[in-house]
Amino acid sequence: MSTTELLDVHPSSRIHPAPQGFISKYVFSLDHKVIAVQYFITSGLFFVLAGLLAELLRVQLTQPHNTFLDSATFNEAFTVHGSSMVWLVTIPVLTGGFGNLIMPLQIGARDVAYPWLNMVSFWLFPPAGILLFGSFLLGAPQAGWTEYPPVSVLASPGTSMWCAAIFLIGISSTITGINFLVTIIKMRAPGMTWTRMPLFVWASAVTAFLNFIATANLSISLAVLFMQRVFHVPFYDPTRGGSPILWQHMFWFYSHPAVYIMILPAFGIISEVLPTMVRRPIFGYKAIAYSSVAIGLVSFMVWAHHMFTSGLAQWIQLPFMIMTMIVAIPTGVKVFSWVATLWGGRIRFTTPLLFALGFLSTFTFGGITGVFLASVPVDVHEHGTYFIVAHLHYVLFGGSIFGMFAGLYYWWPKMTGRMLNETLGKWHFWVMFVAFNATFLPMHWLGLLGMPRRVATYDPVFHGTNLFVSISAFVLGASMLIFAFNALRSARFGKPAGPNPWGGRTLEWMIPSPPPYYNFKELPVVVSGPYDYGKPLPYRNIDPAIMQLADAPAY
Amino acid sequence: MDDAAYAEQRDIRLLGFLFFLVSDSIFFGSLIFAYLYLRNSSPVWPPPGIERPDVYLAAVNSVVLFGSGVTMHFAMEGMRHDRKRRFVGFIVATIVLGALFVGGQVIEYVKLLPVDKWAGSTFGASFYTLTGMHGLHVSVGVVFLTTVLIQTLRGTYTKDRHFGLTAATLYWHFVDIIWVALFFLFYIY
Amino acid sequence: MSKRPEEFRLDAGFWKVTGVLGIISALLMIGVAVFPIDSVLREASSVSTSIDFLFRFMAFFSVPIIVFVNGYIIYFAVRYRRRKDEPIASVGSPIHDHRALENTWMVVPTILMVVLGVLSYLAIPQYYLRGKDSAATLEAIGHTFYFEFRYPGLSHSVDEDLYLPVGVPVTIDLTSAEADEHLAVIHSFWVPEFRVKQDMIPGMIVPIHFTPTLIGKYDLICTEFCGVGHSEMRGHVLVVSRADFDAWYAGQQKSAAAKGARTIKLAAGNVSSGQAIFSQKCTACHNAAPFDQRKVGPGLENLFHDPAHPNLVDGKPANAADVAWILEHGFQGSMGAMPNQQANGLSSKDIADLIAYLQTLK
Repeated sequence: MSTTELLDVHPSSRIHPAPQGFISKYVFSLDHKVIAVQYFITSGLFFVLAGLLAELLRVQLTQPHNTFLDSATFNEAFTVHGSSMVWLVTIPVLTGGFGNLIMPLQIGARDVAYPWLNMVSFWLFPPAGILLFGSFLLGAPQAGWTEYPPVSVLASPGTSMWCAAIFLIGISSTITGINFLVTIIKMRAPGMTWTRMPLFVWASAVTAFLNFIATANLSISLAVLFMQRVFHVPFYDPTRGGSPILWQHMFWFYSHPAVYIMILPAFGIISEVLPTMVRRPIFGYKAIAYSSVAIGLVSFMVWAHHMFTSGLAQWIQLPFMIMTMIVAIPTGVKVFSWVATLWGGRIRFTTPLLFALGFLSTFTFGGITGVFLASVPVDVHEHGTYFIVAHLHYVLFGGSIFGMFAGLYYWWPKMTGRMLNETLGKWHFWVMFVAFNATFLPMHWLGLLGMPRRVATYDPVFHGTNLFVSISAFVLGASMLIFAFNALRSARFGKPAGPNPWGGRTLEWMIPSPPPYYNFKELPVVVSGPYDYGKPLPYRNIDPAIMQLADAPAY
Repeated sequence: MDDAAYAEQRDIRLLGFLFFLVSDSIFFGSLIFAYLYLRNSSPVWPPPGIERPDVYLAAVNSVVLFGSGVTMHFAMEGMRHDRKRRFVGFIVATIVLGALFVGGQVIEYVKLLPVDKWAGSTFGASFYTLTGMHGLHVSVGVVFLTTVLIQTLRGTYTKDRHFGLTAATLYWHFVDIIWVALFFLFYIY
Repeated sequence: MSKRPEEFRLDAGFWKVTGVLGIISALLMIGVAVFPIDSVLREASSVSTSIDFLFRFMAFFSVPIIVFVNGYIIYFAVRYRRRKDEPIASVGSPIHDHRALENTWMVVPTILMVVLGVLSYLAIPQYYLRGKDSAATLEAIGHTFYFEFRYPGLSHSVDEDLYLPVGVPVTIDLTSAEADEHLAVIHSFWVPEFRVKQDMIPGMIVPIHFTPTLIGKYDLICTEFCGVGHSEMRGHVLVVSRADFDAWYAGQQKSAAAKGARTIKLAAGNVSSGQAIFSQKCTACHNAAPFDQRKVGPGLENLFHDPAHPNLVDGKPANAADVAWILEHGFQGSMGAMPNQQANGLSSKDIADLIAYLQTLK
């Protein structure tokens, strides 16, 4: 088939007219790149707010019986902290932010399948955030991001606002999930078979699937909780034939896949950063791609490992224990493949690479403590303690957030046309990496020795460790300021990046930075996979001047 | 827009709509799980003081809804074979039958008043939530079909370009299938 | 050093580093194997040792994974860094995969998981079954925000401090309750030094089973968020010698209604009203027949005198207060769950009437 014939198969190859006017260009934009920036800014704001809440918690916990926050305020703080970090930060930034910015570029498309729905997805997000933080006005929810009834039915008027907020985010996620999976299935550039797709796209595809399958269940759980609070229906009410355990099943059936929604895109980011900074193919492409699918499917079969102390019958606990152990295997395969990618490379220690290495270290540790928790008898001792707090932060912060920063430093030049300062980036990384471990590693110890979670006061025997953790947490928070300063500074002082400062080989690096609204002047044709460093680039219809840059990284 | 562009766009929209229906199935699946869980944890079902709703009205209503599925099928055939009058006739029939179903549900609800007795029990709460969610879907479907009818009369939908109708047909059959499950769960099982 | 490895070959440097990492792992693994867990957290129950063993097993195999992953990251980062004199565009090895290696790192963890799964499975049964060899069944009830304990044979409950005799297997039925049913929330019963934890869930009675093996005073901690008092919801478990326990128990029996007493004062009920309520609400599951003629629940004839009626509440044949307690809270029986007062739509007067009627069934 000639190139022209191939292009005729894709009518979407035609360039639509440029958007006009401030509102169309920057407010209700239909451009996936602008929407991505909107997501980054909004989730960045909530990251700061949720992080501040965490710092308030740590101030309270500098002393065993501190009076900095009263018990109710403390409870509100950890609940809104957790809920925002999950629903207003990690999910939006990884899916709405990186997914929107990079996925369409990597598949050689002009936009996503439903640009208008993409815009709607975003605009559900700020109201959700306002509702969640607005709940402080009425009395924010206090029962943690998991909001188990009966407490969540009885207490805190703001819990109803919490239900509404998360419901809105759920609709946003569901729409985005459908949008992205259709985009990936239907709108890849000619010649881009599934096994020639970048690994970030594989990750986005599985995440998208999880998004529209699992989130529907969350919406129902929230709606029922809301109805019980407002209309007194008895679903979760044990005094009228209902069951609080029903909520736990329904909530975790979504929330376990949700943690994979939060980590898979980060896995994808690592799979992109490593080959570029090591300048060799990713090791085990097929293993990484297929293991993502395996993780996605198995993620639906493990939810009750959050409920091992909830009085489940033994015959139920067993299969969940087994499936949870099984899901660790594909994850391990990825980690080993990433480490093997470093072998034989020509590694350049750029900031994105440092964050990728940091991710490998911290996420692996978090994954291992997850295996501890898979075992029912061991989980019984560790459930509901600081061991869980440690584990979840190692995988969500050490995993998702380190991955997020790797992606931010990596794709900042593509998004803005400017480089972030490398020296500041390295300071950010090292302070954050050390402070992160100092904050969360001791928490394993605290949990094992008897400190429960969600407590504003604790046994004085844990004072020293908690004080150390709090101080480390303050340093960790401060490290974010380095990034903020770097980001703002780059607008004026960041070096112009050009199309491909890192020498990457995926399609987003084959167009100018920032990309024009139509992305590709002519849709590229793909003849093989993207990670074959040392071989010619596998694309046609790309500007040769830009193609050359893949062999001439500046950093 | 030319045929190739239309075909591509239809393809993209259809896949997304199918994914939407899958998501919607999970939506109902969650509630059905909740119902089965509550039922399973209760030694006596329905709970003391609640009688099962009468199956006859629901059976009649079911026939109405399944009938509307049949008329929907023939409406689609009409569109595909460019037989406009046939299409209009059958789609109007579908709309009417759909509206009758919703009416039948309203009558069922009225018969079961007072709401408190029902909403206060796990059987009632599940019943109202599931059939209410379904009824909402049927109502939206009726509006959807009316829009399709109007678009056809205006000439937007033709024998070769009628994605809206394709989506509406899939949606309508989906709503039927959900009702099979609900009817079985609440009135038979 | 600037030679590109076209095939997959691990050089001498790699094996040296592997050896070093191996030694580090081995030392740490030995440390894990011998670490005296009970010196940082006492092992005070029959289940502690098996859980600590499992934990130690997992830590033992986690060490090499952590050491080698981090070790190789650091080694590869140093060994395969672009040297200053190499062009910035230097390309690394073109190797995409290595079947044998990939299969190995899939199979070995799988085997480890299987072993871990089996060991975990073997440790589970100790926990949750109602112990056949239990000397006693106690109840622990979570309230906002304190623990209440009920012993067989004591007509009043004990708060905060759970006394247990050392070396005696015990089953504890856990639940959660409040004076106003609607306010009961989930709590959790956690004794770190026993390695025992189980949620206390309103509407359910969940048993745990273990034997305290070490005399001492242990923290009892609520570990499921239950409201503003969650941080402060604590108690103690005091494991004492059998002689001391008997002395304590005898002292409890002698003392008058202690704090938190749950004796229920019932007004005299109306027998015929009770009969009407019985036929309307109870006959779905019960009948006025001997105990073993079950419908769903047991027959209720001779409820107050027939020793066949098991000790549902406090180890002796049912008295009026016990039956009232069951009618109020419901019961998780072997055949299903008996609904509680609210679900059955019973008022306090209805309960009194029912009891009066049941007392006539001989």
